Amino acid sequence: MPRNPHEKFGLTALLKPGGLLSPGALPPAHQTRRRDTMLTIGACLLAALGLWLLEGHASGYVVHLTCVGAIFATLAVSYNLINGVTGQFSLEPNAFVACGAYVTALLTLSPAEKEASFILEPLIWPLSAFSIPLLPALVIAGLLTALMAFLMGFPVFRVRGDYLAIVTLGFGEVIRVVANNAQSVTNGPLGLKGIPHITNLWWSWGLLAVCLFFIVRLVHSSYGRALMAIREDETAAEAMGINAFWHKMLAFTLSAFFEGVAGGLLAHLITTISPSLFTFFLTFNLLIIIVVGGLGSTTGAVLGAFLFTYGGEWLRVVEEPMQLMGLDIPGIPGMRMVIFSLILVGVMIFLRRGILGRHDFSWRWLLASLGLGRGSKA
Amino acid sequence: MSQPILQARGLTVRFGGLTAVDRVELDLPEGQLAGLIGPNGAGKTTCFNLFTGRIKPNEGKLTFAGQPIVGLRPSRINQLGMARTFQNIRLFGELSVLDNVLVGFHGGLKSNFLSAILRLPGYVAEERGMQRRAGEILELTGLTRLRDEPAGSLAYGQQRLLEIARALATDPKLILLDEPAAGMNPQETTGLAALVRRLRDELGVTVLLIEHDMRFVMKLCEQITVLDHGKVIARGAPHQVQRDPAVIQAYLGAGEGEGVAS
Amino acid sequence: MDAAQLTQQMINGLTLGSLYALIAIGYTMVYGILRLINFAHGDVLMVGCYFAWFGAVQFGLPWWVALMGSMALTAALGVLIDQGAYRPLRQAPRISALITAIGVSFFLENLGLVVFGGRPKAFARPEMFNHIYQWGEVRVLSLSIWVPILTAIILAGLILFIHRTRMGMAMRALSRDLVTVQLMGIDPNRIIAATFALGSALAAAGGVLWAMKYPQINPLMGVLPGLKAFVAAVLGGIGNVTGAMLGGLLLGMAEIMLVALLPELAGYRDALAFVMLIGILIFRPTGIMGEELPE
Ligand SMILES: Nc1ncnc2c1ncn2[C@@H]1O[C@H](COP(=O)(O)OP(=O)(O)O)[C@@H](O)[C@H]1O
Ligand SMILES: [Mg+2]
Repeated sequence: MPRNPHEKFGLTALLKPGGLLSPGALPPAHQTRRRDTMLTIGACLLAALGLWLLEGHASGYVVHLTCVGAIFATLAVSYNLINGVTGQFSLEPNAFVACGAYVTALLTLSPAEKEASFILEPLIWPLSAFSIPLLPALVIAGLLTALMAFLMGFPVFRVRGDYLAIVTLGFGEVIRVVANNAQSVTNGPLGLKGIPHITNLWWSWGLLAVCLFFIVRLVHSSYGRALMAIREDETAAEAMGINAFWHKMLAFTLSAFFEGVAGGLLAHLITTISPSLFTFFLTFNLLIIIVVGGLGSTTGAVLGAFLFTYGGEWLRVVEEPMQLMGLDIPGIPGMRMVIFSLILVGVMIFLRRGILGRHDFSWRWLLASLGLGRGSKA
Repeated sequence: MSQPILQARGLTVRFGGLTAVDRVELDLPEGQLAGLIGPNGAGKTTCFNLFTGRIKPNEGKLTFAGQPIVGLRPSRINQLGMARTFQNIRLFGELSVLDNVLVGFHGGLKSNFLSAILRLPGYVAEERGMQRRAGEILELTGLTRLRDEPAGSLAYGQQRLLEIARALATDPKLILLDEPAAGMNPQETTGLAALVRRLRDELGVTVLLIEHDMRFVMKLCEQITVLDHGKVIARGAPHQVQRDPAVIQAYLGAGEGEGVAS
Repeated sequence: MDAAQLTQQMINGLTLGSLYALIAIGYTMVYGILRLINFAHGDVLMVGCYFAWFGAVQFGLPWWVALMGSMALTAALGVLIDQGAYRPLRQAPRISALITAIGVSFFLENLGLVVFGGRPKAFARPEMFNHIYQWGEVRVLSLSIWVPILTAIILAGLILFIHRTRMGMAMRALSRDLVTVQLMGIDPNRIIAATFALGSALAAAGGVLWAMKYPQINPLMGVLPGLKAFVAAVLGGIGNVTGAMLGGLLLGMAEIMLVALLPELAGYRDALAFVMLIGILIFRPTGIMGEELPE
């Protein structure tokens, strides 16, 4: 594994052993587990309070953005599990999000709504005849998406590296083509309209919390070590008794589950979905998020998602006309994506490990850098 | 002789036109400290790759602990009790020394991923056990001091030791060491020899090692197999092999300076 | 389907396949040398079409001058992309270069949208490509005949180039190993640049012919042909120039025949390439002509 010459320019350098923010000689993690749990619960309560205040006082626009941010964070954390933690560079999340979104929407839309939408070809029975509440619909959507990933995994994980990338990209493309053509299930290019607007701060942040709970704990278990071992050197991992295929399947299926559920919530946030929403473009955005945050870092994925969501809104200024030093500068629609692409290329060239490298947040790191907590004197 | 732990019959592998391993026969008795030597390119590493399932033989049979293993995944073969190190060190560079060793235990983990995520008591107990045993292995290999360093930052000799530590964590019956002393200084080599002997004497692990340092091999190994151009050209106790004309010829023919002197 | 229709579809398949082949060569050559899927290849093609469009429509150049000019400018663009974006990452893990290539691809597409606008532009078909030949039931546009012919000429030239010239031989050597090239005393970086130039020029040629076929261009036009041409390159065995041609022809034929024989599946035509890709990776991972898939 060649060391990255640019690393010294990143935050990463500060976090390295001996770096400014290094936790130094702290007690090992398992000795502080109870304290960390308390801190995590406290932080969750605090976040809940923040959301409650936001819901009561912030504008609908900010609330919407904050929901989108949480959904993107969920997607990025899941995507990072397979791409960053396990090192299997794949490009299919748009397919999983689409699957989750369609399944959930088809389950929650009322029969009358569906009949009104499916004008070209009626929706097949029994989907046309019933609807269920959002929660079970999300669970079903997640499980179906996971099943799809599981079946996909058999052909897909026969290849590695850039072939994996292109095959998964192909799958994403196939799903989009299917969504466009399977008129009697997806309503084709017209998509689904009138999906109830149910997703709010609690749904989106609740999902993020559940997703983080599962994925962070997985990563910090023996399974997580095995996944990282596969990323570092698959041959060696196999030689150490780790069945690389099944572990990739585990990471892939789990990330598909959460991507499917997040897709379902997304559908119930934006209320209209169509195949054009789930192109490779969606995957590209998630890729920027996890690469900028630091491929392999869950914290980085969350950070990247919120930077992307809020930063993307902030960048809208470049698309609007403005006055700069007395000059009228016309807005340039589409300029944001140009900038995002440049950011991706720039990060790869100058800051290959992203903002956080492969470092993750931990309480002991936070306490140590604040000069608090046991052992910080050391 | 007891039932051999590893048995090869007519083992052959070809890369294009090159027959890298040519009808190799091997019977490795349980508990032996054995050596596999031969000039560069003789096919030694390829033999290890065949034993551990990394490549499949074109012909031949392999039996490990009484079970045929040709066609099994490398991870399965490892779980049956065969571990290895790599000639061109293949550690998990970004993981800490401790984590490298802990990875070795994963193949033997009984808890499924859900009980790991939910930290069910069964998993927690297993994780404790792994941590404890990893500590013991680090102690044994003298790496305790470095447990939190990233493996990639270790010195060469330490990386070789960590390869062994990681392999030990998989709880092997047989361990294959591919040039464990390469790049070590004399002092480290002495320590290594002592470690290898302890593996066999105290842990009861059968050892098969490839090594170019002839003094090391001759002192340590009880039985030596010599490979040249993929064929076994001699086998026996160190002093027999050393005097074997075919072996001397192979080494002279290869034009290597290392010789077979002890 | 009767004989006339079959002939007609065969010609269509040959035309489409030739275009895929032209585009696939750029992929396969770059992959052979850098082990990089140049994701931006399809978008380079798109830019090439705009170059030709400007030449032909804005400046009123004859089509073949516009084509030549576009090939030259696109070659320069390919080299620029390589030197600017990929070269700093030669020593990096391969995935970093792939991510960069995806970034470059989106950069070109979105810059295209900003500069040229999203609305398609009509791409006039030159006189000689616009006749309709009729033999009995078979009606064929002259372009459909010319495309395979032009492709064959270009490819023959290419094969001569890589087998007869010093630079061509260096390219082939570099895709095997670096040592031989260093023995030949050619700077590998120059060979890589030449490869990008050549691949991009061929993409421009393929793109312009593609644009004449449909006959319009837009900033996202390169995406699908690009991806499919990559699939064609894999079908033929990536890194192998002859394989890329065969793969392109095979894919073009397969797509046309799918639509001709199973019209009810016509909507799934764009998925066919990927289904074939998955199939080939499962059953014959080396492609038709290729060697072992690199890890
Ligand atoms: N995967 C492979 N593909 C092609 N040739 C190989 C491969 N692995 C080893 N070889 C060749 O097989 C021969 C034996 O190699 P090896 O087993 O590594 O020798 P050594 O005895 O030095 O360990 C060498 O000529 C080597 O080049
Ligand atoms: Mg060797």
